[in-house]
Order: sequence, then structure tokens, then C-alpha cells
Amino acid sequence: METRNIKAEIESKIHDPILRSNLENFSQQYPAARAKAYANVADIDELRDDLRDMKQYSVAHVEELADEFQTSLEQRGGKVFRAKDGDELKKILLKICQENDVHNIVKSKSMATEEIRLNDYLEEQGLRVKETDLGEWMLSVAGQHPSHMVMPAIHLNRNQCAKFFSDELKEDIPSDIPFMVQTARRVLRKEFLNADMGISGANFGIAENGAIGLVTNEGNGRIVTTIPPIHVIIMGYEKLIPKTSDASKIMRLLPRNGTGQRMVSYLTLVDGPTPIIREKNGEMVEENKKVYAILLDNGRLKAAHDPVMKEVYQCVRCASCLNVCPIWSTVGGNVYGHIYSGGIGAILTGLLNGLDEFSQFSDLCIGCRRCTTVCPGKINIPDLIQELRNRQVAKKGLSFPEKMIFQKIMTNRKVFHSLLRAASLGQKPVKSGKFIRNLPLFFAKMTEGRSLPAIADKPFRDRAEKLLQNNPANPKMRIAFFSGCNLDFVFPETGESVVKVLQDIGAEVIYPQEQNCCGKPIIGAGDLDTARRLAKQNIAALEATNADYVIAACPTCAETLEQTYKELFKDDKVWLERAEKLSKKLKEFSSFVEQIYADNGRLKNTAGKERITYHDSCHMRRSLGIYKEPRELLKSAPGYEFVEMTGADQCCGMAGSFGMKYADLSIQLLNRKLKNIKESGATTVAVACPACMMQIGGGIDKMAPNIKIKHIADILAENLGDN
Amino acid sequence: MKKICHEWQKYLDKGFIDKNYWPAFKENALAAAVELHEIKTYDEALPIINKVIAAADAEKIGAVNGEDYPELQAVYNNLGQQYQVYTDKFTIAKNAPSIDIGISTAEFGVGETGSVCVDNYAYEARLVSMLPAINIVFMNKNNIVDTMTEAFEILEQVFDRGYTGFVTGPSRTSDIERVLTLGVHGPSRLILMAVDKTE
Ligand code: SF4
Repeated sequence: METRNIKAEIESKIHDPILRSNLENFSQQYPAARAKAYANVADIDELRDDLRDMKQYSVAHVEELADEFQTSLEQRGGKVFRAKDGDELKKILLKICQENDVHNIVKSKSMATEEIRLNDYLEEQGLRVKETDLGEWMLSVAGQHPSHMVMPAIHLNRNQCAKFFSDELKEDIPSDIPFMVQTARRVLRKEFLNADMGISGANFGIAENGAIGLVTNEGNGRIVTTIPPIHVIIMGYEKLIPKTSDASKIMRLLPRNGTGQRMVSYLTLVDGPTPIIREKNGEMVEENKKVYAILLDNGRLKAAHDPVMKEVYQCVRCASCLNVCPIWSTVGGNVYGHIYSGGIGAILTGLLNGLDEFSQFSDLCIGCRRCTTVCPGKINIPDLIQELRNRQVAKKGLSFPEKMIFQKIMTNRKVFHSLLRAASLGQKPVKSGKFIRNLPLFFAKMTEGRSLPAIADKPFRDRAEKLLQNNPANPKMRIAFFSGCNLDFVFPETGESVVKVLQDIGAEVIYPQEQNCCGKPIIGAGDLDTARRLAKQNIAALEATNADYVIAACPTCAETLEQTYKELFKDDKVWLERAEKLSKKLKEFSSFVEQIYADNGRLKNTAGKERITYHDSCHMRRSLGIYKEPRELLKSAPGYEFVEMTGADQCCGMAGSFGMKYADLSIQLLNRKLKNIKESGATTVAVACPACMMQIGGGIDKMAPNIKIKHIADILAENLGDN
Repeated sequence: MKKICHEWQKYLDKGFIDKNYWPAFKENALAAAVELHEIKTYDEALPIINKVIAAADAEKIGAVNGEDYPELQAVYNNLGQQYQVYTDKFTIAKNAPSIDIGISTAEFGVGETGSVCVDNYAYEARLVSMLPAINIVFMNKNNIVDTMTEAFEILEQVFDRGYTGFVTGPSRTSDIERVLTLGVHGPSRLILMAVDKTE
């Protein structure tokens, strides 16, 4: 495995203006294009469920399907091989080439062959191999790798393309796009007509009849499978589906999601040997082609039997998870593994090439979960990445500073909190870079483009006692407040607002001092044992309050307490039960309050002077599914007029330790967010997440000081008067 | 001509096709850059084809599947009086690289996407529909199914071996700066003659 300097690679991508503007334009246009393609579909989710179910069935029966596919194709006159890895596949293919005296090969897109670097090998063996997809052909000429599974050359501009054309054809090709396309047609047509073997991938392989389906817009897939007398299909086991009718489950989603088309130009279905007519000894003769299929394993069968990772079989390689990914759309696909990019690419690289390679870029997933809202196969990409991280930690352990911070400091609440207090005074140990990055949040000193708030002089926990004296005399309910580190140590005033709002709706609020960090940063780093220790402390502290509800005003804490604790204890009956009890009581602040305001008739649309917009936190919107309630609260907040901004649900770039480790990249996401806020015309931006408040607040401070940022709790508290 | 199925109509008539799917088909086909002509008889295609030939300055035409449709064969014969029209599979194969216009047939259309399903088991059918810059396709206008789900239900019944699939507009690429360009490997024009024989 080559060791890469991912940070340096990212740095160069951030400063590549061609790449940046191509990606920026594309990611802006993509959501509307996709929506338009789906406009004539009643229920997208139903189609996604159908696809997921079909693929889940397929992976559960993958060996049977492979056997059936083999029998079907061989009955029809084809020959099927299985290759356990790239080396084996190359041997099989070389033998086919030698037996048939093959010299010239044309290929249509096959990611499995890119994965094993087949072309390099065939060329070493003295064979002529030509990619025929225009983008792939240009990249192969340029010696580059695809940066996207569907649009391989999206990182290039026309001048760069013209240069590759000119170099390859040894003539001067102008950078006129139609001219270049016609040139490619002319040049590649010759290759098609001279080829004695066509190699294709498959978008699916049908077990019941041995057919494959090929999706192309250019039509190269059809010519590759028509003209050369030999056709070799190279495909991974994940492409196998049971029946012909199952193909429609893929085809109703793949083009819409992949390219915003209701259908691609060509869906080609080939089943067994088909006739060709060619000249032999001066005479035209009709005969059948030879058809071979090679099923590539290369880690796939192991994944099929992995209870968690088998989910990757649901992927149809539409690449829409890249199209909506804030990281991909900032730095492109080349910073990931060499073939598969984006979050799903990180996972596939981990499964096919091993965890060490995966771990080099595994933290480029910031867990914003936008991909999960579009993935046709409904793959929980961030969760699979997290699972691989956990495995890597279980295998390799944590780095030394992480280990010390997580296991020695954070699990010991008193030590941890006294360190945080020390930080507010700017005292030492907390100032070292490594230490800072691994803390839940806020410490890093970042000056460029963003300022980070200081640790408050007096944390919320020291203010709680006085505040709780204002609890109502005849409370309607008993609420335990889980502040999380951010509201406790960075934004204690917001913590106060939360309490005031809750008291105002008649709640007796309790603040258990024994509560600790929810554990999210530790879970994210994959140290689940330590996370369990923290979880136990919190569960015990909250149980002791005997509250009716537990309220968190930080969506990450809410998600961790409500969902993740149950997963942490899935093998521990006693603690699982306690985690489930907590989960039932856990409520996210803004949705909880909105419900009560609605019941009490306190939601009345107002039109105040101050324009206010709302930023959706990724966790709030996509993990908790809460986005209507905060807007309802803002619309009825006296003094404000609510306006929507574009891209309200796009990640602000904070995303836990990511924001620290890849500060420059994080700033790029932040800038996009700031631009949208400014363009909305709002002078206040509301959030329901303290981490977003920190990130966006830091950006505003530097770049748009006239805009204010407030947590929803602060806005609600403003309207309570001075009680 | 070799086909994966010689009685498509029998399967289509099992409740899959409906005139009501035509408007959706038309909208989606046009959106996919299909050049659509609604005609009542095969002859009506002649003047249209003549214009296409003239505009493209075409000399050689490859035309398939006349044997299944006598009226289509009549069109081929008619064109043959003025132009070089190859209908024999060996001659088509021999001349394929220099054919200017290919004429072929489709079995049915899909309303949801504007696609046409083509039965291309025969080598010559694949050549005339993929190599020339222009592909003219004849289809029964009444053979439209609702969605890809129904389309594949039909295929499940008829597709046992061979070569078939769906064509949705001309060959296209957006690989350079995402600028849509037609006719990269296959035809740059897909002209669909939808023949409504019921009226
Ligand atoms: S993971 Fe989902 S969204 Fe991403 S390429 Fe695969 S199918 Fe498409």
C-alpha cells in the first residue's frame, strides 16, 4: 500500500479552479435534475424499497445465483469462470486471448477491471486495449484515474481534453467539444472494426437466463458487444439478480439518480452467443460469437457473508452519493481510493483493498447523511464507514493521544471538566494540537476564515443551581436537562435559555451534575469500549433524576442518547434495557417545545422586522428527521420574519473532529454556507445545534459581522419577558 | 430476420398496451431528443425519409426486417428505385462501415421513459441501428406500455436468449465539461416513425 499525504492532496484540489468550478456547478444543478427525472414517479421510496429488498435477497443467495447464472449461460453456449482475485482473473483472460489468437481489444466501462488494473496488465502482455467510453478513453490516454463513477472526467476542462486528444493522435486538435467528440467517433470506430475481442462489464447479470444488462449513453456498450467475434463479460458477484423482471427495479432508479435521465440512451441486454457476419476466406459467413463471463470475487464473497457490510451489495454504482456529498463536491473523487470515490468508495476500497488503505481517507466522511436520502439502494453509507473505523480501531488500537484523552481523561468526569475549566484560562496542557483535535469540539486555534469561541468563564453546570430555583411551584412535568459539552462549556447562556423556556411551559428542570460528554467523539473514533463507560455514567445520572423526559438541545447528543446507546449495548441485556428506557424519555428540545406550543395555541405566524433564516443541522435533519418544527417556532417568534435560504440543509462543515483535522476543507464548506445566508437577506440565522452555532458563528464573526447567530432556545427565551 | 421472439404482439396484447400511454411516451421521447413522426400508413414515411436522405446527402441505406412487415418492404422497394438500399444481411454486413442511414423496427414503446424496445438478435439489425449517423425506426404507435416495470414483465416472458434492449433517443455524451453532445458512437439522430394502423 502506498502511503499518501491526503492533506496535501486535498490542499491541491482546493486550489484547482477548474475542478472547483466544475464540481460547484454540477452539485448545484444535480438536485433539480434528479427531481425532474422523478417528477413522473408517484413514490420514490417505494421504488427504493423494491430495489433494496431485491438486492438483499440477492446477497443472501449470492452463491446460488452465481451457480444459476453459470448454468443458464453455459446451457446457451457461453462459458463462465470464477476468479478469486485480480491475478486469477488475469490468468483466465490471458488464456482466452491466447486460445483465440486475440490482439486487439475494445472495452466498454467495467469498474471491476479498473479495480484490478486489468488494462496495464494486458498491455504488458503485448495486447492492444482501448477504452471506448469517451471519458475513460481520455483518462486512459492521460494516465489518470476516474474521479467519479458516472462522469469519470468531470475534473477536466475542454482545453485539457484537447491536449490529451492531441497527444494521443499526434495532431493538433482544437478545444471545440463537438469536434473532439466527432474525432473520438472516427478514431474509436476504427478500433471497433479491428477488434477481435470486446470486454464489457455488466450493470446486472440475470441468473434465470444468463443475460447481462449494460447501461450506456454513448452506445459503446452495444458496439463492443456486437462487432468483435469474442465477448468477455467481467463482473463482480454483486451484479447478480434473480430474474429478468428484477432488472426494472434497478432501471427505474439508476438513470434518474445517476444522470437525471428517465432512461439512458441504451440499455443493452445480451444473453449467450449471438450471430455475427464477417468475411472469411473471401466469403461472408454467419456464425455465433464466443461468449465468456468471469465473475470476480476480490473480497466480495466475504462481504456477502458479513452481517453488516453485506449492505454494499445494494449499491448500483449510480454515484448519486457523490453528487450530494459536500466533501466530494469540494475536492472531487481523486482523493479517495483509486477507483471508487466518495463515501461508498471508501467502503468498497476498505472491503476490496483492505482497512489500511481505507483508513487513509476514512475520515473524509463527515457523517452529514445527505447520501442516505438519495441512495437508490438505501445504503447507510456513514454507518458502514463507522463500522469499518470501529474494526480498524479494534485491530490496530487508537493513537497514543486519543487513547490518553478518551480512556484516561474523558471517562473521568472530574478530571475532564477541570481540564475544560483550565482551558478557559488558556492554560497549558490543552494547548497542544494533538490534544485539542481529539476533544469533543472547540479547542483548536483556527484563525483563518473562522474564529472559535472561547470556553466560557463559568460553565452552565455552575449556573444551574441558581437557575433551577426558578422552577415552577406546581410543575406539570419533571425534565432532566442533558446539556452536552458545548452548551455546558461554550454556550452556557444558551443552556440558560433552554431551562427558561422549559420552566415557562411548566416544567420542573433538573440538571444532574454527574452527566458527562455523550461520547460521540469517542464513538466516531471507533473506541466503543470507552464510549460504553461514558454511556453508563450518563444513563445512571439521568435515571437517578426520575424525570418524565430527558431534553437535549444538541441534536448530536440527542441522537447518541436516543439511538446510539442502544446499539452500543446490543449484546448487554441489562444495560440495553436501561438504554431503551432512556431512549423513550429522550426528546430533542425544539421539537418538544413546538409540540407543546402547538397544543397551547402559541404558534401564530408573525411578521416582525428582523429577517431570520434557519440552518438545518445534518444530525437534526437526517438522523432525527426534525426540520419542520424549528421553522414553525421561528415563524411564530414575535419580532421576526422567517425566510428560507438556499441549501439550508447543506453541511456547515463542522462535523466533529473533521472540522479540526481538515480545517481548510471545513472552511470551504463554511464559505458556501455563509454565501447562502447572506443571499437570503436575513440578519439573524437560527440554529438548533451548538456545533453548527460554533462553526457558522465563527465564520460570521470574521466575514459577516452584521449577521447574528442564535440558538432557537435563545430566540424563544427572548420572548418570555423577564420572568 | 433472427429475433428473440416472433410473436411479440401476442404478449403485448396480454393487457400491457394502452393508447392512454401515448402522450407520456411522446413527451418523454421528445425530451430524449427523439425525432418523432406520427403517421397513419407506412407510405407516409416516404416523403419524410426522402427529405432526410436529401438533407444528409446520403447514398447508402441499410434496411432490415422488411419480411415481417410487407408495407415496410414496399417502402424499402420504393427507396431502392432511387438509392442504394441494402436489405440482405450479408450485403449489410459487408457495407456496414459506409452505410449512411439505417432503417430498423421496434417492438413497443415505454410511456414512462420514451424508450423503444428493440429486438436485435440479428447482427444486421444491430449494425444498421448503431453504425450509421442516422437511424430511422418504425414502430406500431399503439404498442405503448406504461412503465419499465411492465416492459420487463414482457421481457421476462419472451427473452430466453439473444440480444435485445431499449433505445431512448440518439447516442450522447456529456464527458467533456458536461456539455451534451449527440452522436458519439451511435447515431446522432433517432427518427421514430410511429405508425397508427388502427385508424
Ligand atoms: S451507494 Fe447508493 S448512491 Fe452511492 S453509488 Fe451506490 S447506489 Fe448510488
